[in-house]
Amino acid sequence: MEELKKKVKQALEEGKIHGFLGLKADEGDISPFFMTKDNIAELEKLTAPDGRYSLGKILSRIAAQNPGKAIGVMVRGCDERAIIELTKASQLGTASTVQFGVACTPQTAEKCNCPQPYPSTIDFGEKAKSVNHGELLTKLEQMSVEDRLAYWMAQFDKCIKCYGCRNICPVCYCQECTLEDKNLVPGGIVPPATPVFHFIKAMHMADRCIDCGLCEATCPSNIPLRTIYRHMRKVMQELFDYVPGRAADDKSPLGTLEEGGRLIH
Amino acid sequence: MSADNGFEPTIIGFLCNWCSYAGADLAGGSRKKYAANVLPIRVMCSGTVSPHHIVKAFQMGADGVLVTGCHIGECHYMKGNYMTAKRIPVVKELLGFIGISPDRLMLDWVSASEGEKFARVVTEFSDKIRSLGPSPLKGRVHGRVKEESQASA
Repeated sequence: MEELKKKVKQALEEGKIHGFLGLKADEGDISPFFMTKDNIAELEKLTAPDGRYSLGKILSRIAAQNPGKAIGVMVRGCDERAIIELTKASQLGTASTVQFGVACTPQTAEKCNCPQPYPSTIDFGEKAKSVNHGELLTKLEQMSVEDRLAYWMAQFDKCIKCYGCRNICPVCYCQECTLEDKNLVPGGIVPPATPVFHFIKAMHMADRCIDCGLCEATCPSNIPLRTIYRHMRKVMQELFDYVPGRAADDKSPLGTLEEGGRLIH
Repeated sequence: MSADNGFEPTIIGFLCNWCSYAGADLAGGSRKKYAANVLPIRVMCSGTVSPHHIVKAFQMGADGVLVTGCHIGECHYMKGNYMTAKRIPVVKELLGFIGISPDRLMLDWVSASEGEKFARVVTEFSDKIRSLGPSPLKGRVHGRVKEESQASA
């Protein structure tokens, strides 16, 4: 960690980065923090804890406030994938990022069920093995359509429409959210219009989900949201060989008029 | 007309303005007989049919959704129907995973001169939906089965 702190400090002092976004431990609490050269002492609190924050989402806000500047950011595997998706969607504006890679511990990887718990360049930590528990997905895929409907309806019925899954999602960036469209999801009713509410979210996740699992971790009703999004990732890979968060110059087949992919008929 | 205890499906048809709607017009104009189960909605391009519209149709009680557009390469907007061709298979997969049979959604291309094909597509799709039975979302209020929500109220 000391080495990473030194690297960040050096980059700040040399003016390579305008500011740095990371996670800090403050009296036992973990929180995201943004610092510039003016409050360099903050850097001492930098840590790579078990807990996570949607750093990509915070970064897009900071980028909007600092156009044209280089911003240093601590990235895990999931943060890196999120930043790739946000770059594709022009959500970082003219700001550029300098990434400081942190590899997750095997414990964190296991807890997050993370298929890629490390970024492409690692400045701190050791590469942990990828984890891929997909028992529920396999079970659901083998079920009959009727059983699946019963399963999901029971799950969606638990939804309290807190919008937690959307708010935490690092790649949900729209200013106007379809989930708040009164024509599709009437207000004042809990659970929200099923399955429309979750269908819309899943459809939007199909070409964006970076499989960080924050939605499921946040959900107060324990709806296995990640399983739907994982299925959609799989579908996108099978149909179009498209994996969100893989490379910044990939284009989503659903968002472009290009040919390619599997055209039916 | 049907043998399955009189069930007549309600099908929402999204027809593109330039090809399929004209195709439907031709089918009518040339007095072709076809199933009257499709309620047509004219859209400017099949590429504008959002997945939201499709799922909303199902939620409001549609037994099936039919999307028709110009043939690939003949789109009035050049490549609008490429969007449709890529999007519909994904929507089908999601419908299937959530528990609505993907057979309830159908995409086909009907040009303005294919009145005959339009009649055939509509009749075949209506027969298919008739054999699948009513939509499992029918009779649910916001996902719950009506009787249950009344009992708990």
